Amino acid sequence: MTYMTINTSPTPPEAAVDLIIDQAGKTFPTPRGPVVALAPISLKVTRGSFVALIGPSGCGKSTLLRMVAGLEQPDDGAILIRSKHPEQFRKEGELGIAFQDPALLPWRNVFANVAFPLQILGRPIKPNNEKIRALIDLVGLKGYEDALPSQLSGGMRQRVAIARSLVSDPSVLLLDEPFGALDQILRRQMNLELQRIWAARQTTTLLVTHGIDEAVFLADEVVVMHAKPGRIAEIIKVPFARPRTPDLFSSPEFHALCDTLTAALHGPGAAA
Amino acid sequence: MSGATRENARIVFGVLVVLAIWEFLGSQTSWGVAMFPAPSRILAQAFADRELYWLHGLATVRTATIGFVFGCAAAMLAALLFCLSPSLELAFRGVNIALFAMPAIVVGPLLVLFFNGDWPQTILAALMVYFPAMSATLLGLRQVDPRLADLVAAYGGGETKLMLHVRFRGALPSLFAGFRVAAPLAVLGAVLGEFGSGTRWGFGAFLLSALPQGNPARLWGIGLAASLIALAGYALFLLPARRLAASTSAVTLSAVSPAAIAVSSGGRLRRIAFALVALALPFLLWWLMVTLTKVSPIIAPGPVQTILFLFEGRQASAARHALGLALGQTLPVAALGLLAGLAFAFVLAALSLLAPALARALMPVAMVAQNMPLVAVVPIVTLVFGRGVTASVFMAVLVVFFPAYVLLQQGFTTVPRAASDLVATYGGGRLKNLVFVAVPYSIGHLFAAARLVAPQALLGVMVAEWLLTGTGLGNLLNVSRGGLDYDMIWAGALISILISVAAYEAVGLIERKVVRR
Repeated sequence: MTYMTINTSPTPPEAAVDLIIDQAGKTFPTPRGPVVALAPISLKVTRGSFVALIGPSGCGKSTLLRMVAGLEQPDDGAILIRSKHPEQFRKEGELGIAFQDPALLPWRNVFANVAFPLQILGRPIKPNNEKIRALIDLVGLKGYEDALPSQLSGGMRQRVAIARSLVSDPSVLLLDEPFGALDQILRRQMNLELQRIWAARQTTTLLVTHGIDEAVFLADEVVVMHAKPGRIAEIIKVPFARPRTPDLFSSPEFHALCDTLTAALHGPGAAA
Repeated sequence: MSGATRENARIVFGVLVVLAIWEFLGSQTSWGVAMFPAPSRILAQAFADRELYWLHGLATVRTATIGFVFGCAAAMLAALLFCLSPSLELAFRGVNIALFAMPAIVVGPLLVLFFNGDWPQTILAALMVYFPAMSATLLGLRQVDPRLADLVAAYGGGETKLMLHVRFRGALPSLFAGFRVAAPLAVLGAVLGEFGSGTRWGFGAFLLSALPQGNPARLWGIGLAASLIALAGYALFLLPARRLAASTSAVTLSAVSPAAIAVSSGGRLRRIAFALVALALPFLLWWLMVTLTKVSPIIAPGPVQTILFLFEGRQASAARHALGLALGQTLPVAALGLLAGLAFAFVLAALSLLAPALARALMPVAMVAQNMPLVAVVPIVTLVFGRGVTASVFMAVLVVFFPAYVLLQQGFTTVPRAASDLVATYGGGRLKNLVFVAVPYSIGHLFAAARLVAPQALLGVMVAEWLLTGTGLGNLLNVSRGGLDYDMIWAGALISILISVAAYEAVGLIERKVVRR
């Protein structure tokens, strides 16, 4: 087991860095005075890695993700994705995103929902027909292309959202608790599928999650955050070889690392 | 399946029973013959009058349809602009509320001064359609799932893409719900306009000529026919609205005023500036209207001249006296009607919570009745209550009751199940549930109802005064119109619109005090 804090995290010189967060913080004004959602933090994510952000509610993990997507502006500091500002980066269609809520357009069928980002980016849909079908197939929804969201189950809708997040061939994928609303059984299943999808593309991925086992199963690195104010407490490397199989969930090493993570979440300085 | 069939059979049976009782009382009792003529007599009379119905009906339907199209077009354009620029909405707040709260009957005689032919009643129909259609469209455009907005932003899309792909389609159910509410209002606007325009054809003219004839069957026929036309407009948009709602997730016509969203933003100074602009804009438009149309200032005075009419010159004190007298007659009746109608609606909504079977029976009736044009009840009111103050009060109560009941009932049904279950868990009955859960939960709906119907109460009383009682503000305007006393028409219209807006704003003020504790 290796512990690495943010300052000593060694980046192999040959691996390119996809995401640089440099002293970015966020404070929200409220009627009872300003609340520090995120103290200025720094983080580097290397190309092709899978990083999970985990922490209690109010630790600013979603705020961090939204800042990377350019949906929130940091008060100070800077965020660079492949040495571009988020607003510029996302305009080039290099960003894929999925939220806790699938946020599907209720009047569009599965195919049209997956194609939606292409329309926003102003790209043609016809030449991408095959790719869209392949993505729907990838998330296991073959045959449901013409179904409306209201005809799908919660898990199926979430898989549509995952397919949609991949349609623009993003180089960076942001997932904000995409399985948070699913039950435990479905969640495991989706974890396996996400790993399969990710392995097929090796897209740099940032995953916000509440689930300790989900983070350990999926990530190369788990960033543990604490609340009040939101900050990075620790970064834990996950050494397990890929591809990871469901057997891993029951291995002692897996449980040991989950326990370490739990301890880090409740560690000194963590808010009760 | 069989449950629905049985329910339908029960409804049909109930309707048949009511019709049979009506037929019996309306033909066998002397008061029944005078007040509730039997359905068979009404039908026979309508058949004898069929040519009149055709001519008058065609005129009203044409006026209402053209007015509806114009009003909706203006409403959609305005909603789009307000959605893109909330500042613009703030600036137009005064115009919007004035259009919503104006007692339509006072506007008809003013429009006659500027337009001729069918245009006055057509424009009045458009004006009545504008506010409900605009606020529903605006609500639909604004009601965007924040996650969808994030999604569009995450792919670099701006407001244009959001509007194109999300807002327009998402607003459709709301838009159609707005059309549904607006269609009967177009009929009402057309008929009210026909009262003031002196037109030969139209249900307004038909009703004016039938009122003194003392033929109950014909009066009932006119009221029922006008209601049928209005309800046909409502039904026309019912099906598409339902279909769209099903494919757009649950979207309902919200009871909150759309203006409230924008008011809270910005600094104090900015807010005051916008309030002043909103206040000044209706008067500016009035001034522009009379200046640009080049109508003689004697016929169409500007705002300054109208205010001076009440405070300077030889006739000022006489005019103030006449207006004061009229207001003294109208306002107490309107207030009484408003309070009685609201109280009645509240009690009945509460009772239907205690006895759900009552709500099931009453709700469909109220849903239909709230869309009946209020002129359609004039015949019934005059046959039952004569031409005294009682008729005015009842008219206001009738106008207030149905929309208030529907809103309150909807408020009671929004109470979360868990809250009611909690009361039940601790042994509380329906009464405890009502007092501790249902009423506090639906307080917003109560205020929304009051705000919505307060201007309606004034309109109801003024219509009764104009057509029946010959007292108060409604009569003053009718008499001034006949006597070509233009200054008085304008002053009376101004005063009644101001009172209406003040009542609307006052309810809003109390609401903010109570709800935001």
